[in-house]
Amino acid sequence: MATKSLVKIKPKTYKVGDVVEVSLMVMHPMETGLRKDKETGNLIPAHYINDVKFSFNGTPFTTIKSWESLSTNPVYTVSYKVSGEGEIKVAFTDTKGDANENGTKIKPKA
Amino acid sequence: MKKIILASALLGVLAFGSDQFAMSDADRAMYQEMLENNPADMDVAWGGELFEANIGSEEALAKFLGVKAEELAAYLSGFPRYIEKLGMVASQEQVLQGAMAEAGKKPLALKSKEMAAMGAYVKSLSNGLPISIDINANEQMKKAYAFGEEVFTQHRGGRGLSCMSCHAPAVIGSILRTQPLPDLGSEANKAAATWPAYRMTKSSMSTLQKRFQGCMENALLAVIPMGSPEMNALEVYVTHAAKGKEIAIPGLKR
Amino acid sequence: MQRRSFLKGIMMTGAAAAVVSPSLAFSAEAPKGPNAMDLDTAIKAITGGKSVSASAKVQLKAPEIAENGAVVPVSVTVDSPMSAEDHVKAIHIFATKNSNVRCADVMLTPANGKASFSTRVKLGTSQDVMALVVTSKGEFLSAAQNVKVTIGGCG
Repeated sequence: MATKSLVKIKPKTYKVGDVVEVSLMVMHPMETGLRKDKETGNLIPAHYINDVKFSFNGTPFTTIKSWESLSTNPVYTVSYKVSGEGEIKVAFTDTKGDANENGTKIKPKA
Repeated sequence: MKKIILASALLGVLAFGSDQFAMSDADRAMYQEMLENNPADMDVAWGGELFEANIGSEEALAKFLGVKAEELAAYLSGFPRYIEKLGMVASQEQVLQGAMAEAGKKPLALKSKEMAAMGAYVKSLSNGLPISIDINANEQMKKAYAFGEEVFTQHRGGRGLSCMSCHAPAVIGSILRTQPLPDLGSEANKAAATWPAYRMTKSSMSTLQKRFQGCMENALLAVIPMGSPEMNALEVYVTHAAKGKEIAIPGLKR
Repeated sequence: MQRRSFLKGIMMTGAAAAVVSPSLAFSAEAPKGPNAMDLDTAIKAITGGKSVSASAKVQLKAPEIAENGAVVPVSVTVDSPMSAEDHVKAIHIFATKNSNVRCADVMLTPANGKASFSTRVKLGTSQDVMALVVTSKGEFLSAAQNVKVTIGGCG
């Protein structure tokens, strides 16, 4: 099953030229590699999202390298200046190489 | 070592009841802002998929409940209710189990993640509406409320604690480890209107009944099973305390 | 049962003590993970040894008291026109006392319109959270805030 994620835009309505907030949320354990398995006593290997890329109509505008210190089920929020109609896509990859993508349409009000 | 324990025990006593270590309003506001990107939104979205797969549609659920589809959201805002078909005062999740059984499906377990997600989705259909529980709707609801009050106030376990030990008007607002003890029915907390919620300490979404179980465990009380008459009665009692408050699912809790 | 409640009692009071004197509860050496990196090394890797100045242009928001170290909201905003010739190129977030201080390296462009980033971090202990900002003019600006980590509430 694909990793669950959500991409949100705030506020819900905006015009061309407005700066909106784009958020990516992912269901991910963000294991630090420092935590012990309660049953076996072994360390749980580090496993976290290390790469996030926001793009609009295929052009990247923010890239993020993240580390194990982000909380479980992490949230990444950046600003974006609306330039017109199109689609924001957010691609994210974790340290096991699991690559996912989610997105949302950008429809500015006239 | 002993000295340290004694010293910290003393500090523990001092910390309780003083607001010296309480979070500031600005801090609390920061946590409130996190509601806008609540990880449990992902559970609710998943719950929507599960609802479609297991129940079918809002129309199907409305039909099972014997209400019009357009009245479903308002009807759902009144749970727990006495459901004649099930012969009991039922939680919303138990109704979903009933609807699955009637459709020839094996009902999801009450304590499963799937049921929590699906239940959260269904409860979110009433978002924006006030809690409309009616404890005088029938004899069964009257009894459930009275029983719920009994469960809420009964001293149990080795320490003789009850829900009232932390949620009675006399202690509400006291600071327990940086957190004020909440009035479950207040506008600020409105517990029944904001569960299921994302628990930051657990990094996952939880339901009201699961939270009750967590309280019982921590207070060293025998844990009451989800969906039991005692648990449903407790949900009736706590839900009534927040009657009229606007439903906002999923919540975000410490 | 009695022993358990006794231990729980210690845990509770220990948590209260942690607020007053973190050294009591957190005296043990923190474990080092595979990505372990201290603050100086992490900053140097970005600045190449150039000086960093604390700046009011960088606003870092984090709670003074975090009720739970596992989820601490952090948001950074930088005053910047975000134009082609004058913009913020990167916002780095550090948890200065975690085994690996690096939390996120955020590379921005003028298309962002505003230099901001917010997320939630895990803090192993009370510490400063720091933002290091790199501008297109080659400046290194910073802001930091102390966050006290407690074990709040019950359950």
